[in-house]
Amino acid sequence: MRFLNVFKANIRREYIMLKRYLPNTIAMLITFYVLFLGMFAGISLIGDPSTQDTNIQYVIVNYIFWFLAMVVVNDIGWQITNEATQGTLEQLGMSPMGIWKIMLSRLLSSTLIEFVIIVALLYLSMFTAGQWLNVDVLSILPVLILTLISMFGLGLIIAGFTMILKQIQAFLQILQFILAGLTFVPLSVAPFLAFFPFVKGIDMVREIMINGMTLTEFTVADISILVFNAVFYFGIGLFVFLRCERFAMHKGLLAHY
Amino acid sequence: MTQPIVEVKNLKKSYKKRKTKEIITAVDQISFTVNKGEILGLLGPNGAGKTTTIKMICGLVRPDSGNITINGIDNQDKRLQAQEHISAVLEGNRNLYWRLTVRENLEYFAGNRGKSRKEVAGQIDELLKQFRLKDKENEMVNRLSRGMQQKLAIAVAMLAGSEVILLDEPTLGLDIETGYEVRELLREIVRTEDKTIIITSHDMDVIQDLCERTVIINSGKVVTNDRVENLMKLFEVRSYTVKLDGHLSEEQHELLLEKFPQLTYTPETYQSVLEVDLTQSQEIYDLFDILKLEQIPVDTIDRKTINFEQVFMKIVKGEKEYALSERV
Repeated sequence: MRFLNVFKANIRREYIMLKRYLPNTIAMLITFYVLFLGMFAGISLIGDPSTQDTNIQYVIVNYIFWFLAMVVVNDIGWQITNEATQGTLEQLGMSPMGIWKIMLSRLLSSTLIEFVIIVALLYLSMFTAGQWLNVDVLSILPVLILTLISMFGLGLIIAGFTMILKQIQAFLQILQFILAGLTFVPLSVAPFLAFFPFVKGIDMVREIMINGMTLTEFTVADISILVFNAVFYFGIGLFVFLRCERFAMHKGLLAHY
Repeated sequence: MTQPIVEVKNLKKSYKKRKTKEIITAVDQISFTVNKGEILGLLGPNGAGKTTTIKMICGLVRPDSGNITINGIDNQDKRLQAQEHISAVLEGNRNLYWRLTVRENLEYFAGNRGKSRKEVAGQIDELLKQFRLKDKENEMVNRLSRGMQQKLAIAVAMLAGSEVILLDEPTLGLDIETGYEVRELLREIVRTEDKTIIITSHDMDVIQDLCERTVIINSGKVVTNDRVENLMKLFEVRSYTVKLDGHLSEEQHELLLEKFPQLTYTPETYQSVLEVDLTQSQEIYDLFDILKLEQIPVDTIDRKTINFEQVFMKIVKGEKEYALSERV
């Protein structure tokens, strides 16, 4: 019940911030859309006409997931950097709920709020490209939730490192491209990536949205890898975060920027 | 009966300097207790180890050795449990979200302690009234004055409902009027809310005005742990400046120096000035007996009094020796 209140407070804060920084949000959406148009134009003009439709569909799904990964994984790093600069990180550290629960609430909140935007962007992209993907909610949702859990784990790792290192902006910028790599590279090119966080999940979502697969058509191995990744990366994420928190408290790093 | 609520025992913390790898002992075997319902002043010059001590009490920095209990709970073994009993204003107005309103800040921080908006709505209204922020409740924090931000930061700590509140420099950067207002608020909180407050401040007037007891830290060690009034008494000097309409005779000067070796005598063209510290108030008679010998007219007599800032400076400079634990 108390965690629910932490979550409610953080989702409300996220919503208020989104409203207060509305020009920022709009600018971000326009940037996203313009970049998509660029990619779409590129494929339409110079891409192989025989695979054009599939390529465009891949771009839509990959690009949407890249945005989602950035929102979940990258944003938490920026948030910690900002909190440390503002002087509010220590106040979060004073909560008897523990910083990790607040951070997890932030991850959940930003995902839920941004998800609305992501769905809107998905439909806008599909409309622009004239390519309508298979939005089978019942098949997508379980895969997406498990994929998000592994993303949260990665987010907690980033949050933990940011708490210690603080001046991690350069890394966060590079991380955007690592995330792009992980979302854009098809699993068939590098099968070992299935054990990387969220790569398997995105591949499965691609299968549903582009190739029209349903959840029941996936093999036990596919589902097992997905579940394993979710549990493993979330567990690792939480472990790393708690170790980083302990280290930060040992070195007195929560306040210093 | 005094009941300890915060117990700090043999606290030690060292840091390694990044560049030189030199080990700096910030806090060295610090011990003290804070009793339920008291306002304790934690003082010390910059770099004395005060901030490190505060952060260890808050559970934000882990000590190398020693332990702290808040309401009987060890704040290392059961950090989150201990934090139920303590809240803090550590960086004043920087402890707030500037893009949230006054009410949103209060609700957000209460939420992070696991409380629902409904649960704290009444308390928030009361606090806004008490802190005279009611008409600003929907104002964003970045539009408030520094004093209002500071009051809000204290209100956030109050809303936590913890028995112990730690305030780091609560009046720093405030104008005189708001500084007094914050002082009054703190006094009222202790009087009516049964809270224990630990204050650090460079403003000795605030400490003298609010605190019953002070712990003074210097070079990582506790140098004084005593009631403010005891310290004032200890350093109380009966220092007099006597202006005479004339000059002392040689005999008088010698007699005075014999009786008051620290005396300073400054003869001017027509007048002269005597500055003398009396160890006992009765010595004033001895002074005047000597002055009476030549019947020199006395123009003015001034008595200097010491304030807590001077007491603090004297302690930090090590002008008195203390038997610390015995004095508490």
